Amino acid sequence: MNMHPIEQEELMAYLDGELPVDRAGVAAGHLKHCRECQSLAADLQGVSRRLMEWQVSVGQASGLPVLAAALKERGAKPRKRPRIVWRWVWAAAGAGVVALLAVPSFQLASRRQKMHEIADQIDAVQAPRRKVAEQLTSYMVAQSPMIARTAELTLTTNDFDKARAALEDILKRHSGYLGQLNVNAPPSAGRTLDATLRIPATQRDAAIAEIKKLGRVEAESQTGEEVTAKYVDLEARLSNARNTEQRLTEVLRERTGKLADVLAVEESISRVRGEIEQMEAEKKTLTTRVEFLTLVVRLTEDYHAQLHMAPDSILGRCRNAAIVGYKSMVDGVVAVILFLLSYGPNLLIWAAVLFFPARLAWRKLRRS
Amino acid sequence: MISDEALMLEFQGGSREAFEELFARYREPLFGFFRRRLESQERADDLMQETFLAVIRATSRYQPRALVRTYLYGIALKSLAAERRRERRSDPSPQVDAVDGALDNSLWVRRALEKLDPSEREILMLREYEQLSYSEVADLLRIPVNTVRSRLFRARMALKNHLEPQPSRDREGAKT
Repeated sequence: MNMHPIEQEELMAYLDGELPVDRAGVAAGHLKHCRECQSLAADLQGVSRRLMEWQVSVGQASGLPVLAAALKERGAKPRKRPRIVWRWVWAAAGAGVVALLAVPSFQLASRRQKMHEIADQIDAVQAPRRKVAEQLTSYMVAQSPMIARTAELTLTTNDFDKARAALEDILKRHSGYLGQLNVNAPPSAGRTLDATLRIPATQRDAAIAEIKKLGRVEAESQTGEEVTAKYVDLEARLSNARNTEQRLTEVLRERTGKLADVLAVEESISRVRGEIEQMEAEKKTLTTRVEFLTLVVRLTEDYHAQLHMAPDSILGRCRNAAIVGYKSMVDGVVAVILFLLSYGPNLLIWAAVLFFPARLAWRKLRRS
Repeated sequence: MISDEALMLEFQGGSREAFEELFARYREPLFGFFRRRLESQERADDLMQETFLAVIRATSRYQPRALVRTYLYGIALKSLAAERRRERRSDPSPQVDAVDGALDNSLWVRRALEKLDPSEREILMLREYEQLSYSEVADLLRIPVNTVRSRLFRARMALKNHLEPQPSRDREGAKT
């Protein structure tokens, strides 16, 4: 029983950006969880990547002289008689080919110059326009593995302040930046610095080597996560979403219908735009993770307990003793007052109650 | 940036610059189209020129009903068919250029493509190399879009299987 909500061909169409909006949503959702479909998608993308290995470069002959002659003929003849124009075009084209074969060297130089001009035009025009180039670049990026690296270093240093300054200097020299920094200075222990550094991947080895010199290495670890598949998948989904947005925009522009339909299309455009922005942010984050090493550094200061051998001065000790005596006296007086205030009323009552029986008992004892 | 269709209309009105712009945009893609389908680089270049000559000749009759891109590839496909017919009539074993002169990675791709059914191969190449949409391919080949999709899927799966034996195995095959 087929448990997939989309057909394999639909999955392919989704990757090509050719699936209708509603089905594209289903495909995107399913692709996130289905390993089988992820595998198929990877296969399809792999085939496209392999096909891109076959690149051809444009030949040296530009065709410009032949076409220039044809254009000249076209401009010279009245356009209302196309059949005669054709003959002239062919004749001019033939003459152009003959001229090309027998071209003297000065003409070749001129042709090369024109070739360069046209090549410049091609470069200028094609860069922003050609979808092929975009996808090819994307594939080329995807062909080399994309690794997001993380490293951890634990160091102990004798000179904490110097090590910290050096760490900032290393970061600056290697064009890195500080993600997070915490410094703790407990009273009976050495200071510690916990920092998360982001260093360009190209500077990774040099930066780590320099940081290791800041102290004694207590622990070191490095990990790498390959995110190529994630990136390629993100690219494909982004491309699909952009195509969807474009198609929806065209639908909105060209079609008129019920207000509810128009609102539904606008809502879809808004949703797709949100998805595009989210995916672009993900792509940027992923790229940053690949381009920058995340280095977690823990720098601990060697703790040396301080022993105070010098005695305090006599004057200071007298002053301290006087203060202690005065404080003791005040504390005593305050304690008596507090005692009287606390227990005085109680004592008075008991004294009043016991006074007469006690006096009577005392008198009897004296008489006897 | 001016669209291809606007440039074509300008050219129809007599603007040589518009044609040069179109030429700059499509020279390389059209050359690639022919180069991947013909053995001779020289013929690929000739046919690329002839495609533009055909555009020049047919300017007065051009109507912006389809994309210029589709229009150009339509002419290119017809030129290619004529060239193949001519090759069959004239010489059964045409002179073959050394393609880029070496056993590069593309050799395995070319060999794998050769093993595909011609109709499926054409659809795959139009999609992958010319970057045409399904509907553009359908228009060019005059077949339904669903047919394009199913043939494209079959072609990709078949190509995957043909490509799976990696270069080492193919090389052994090449020696025999």
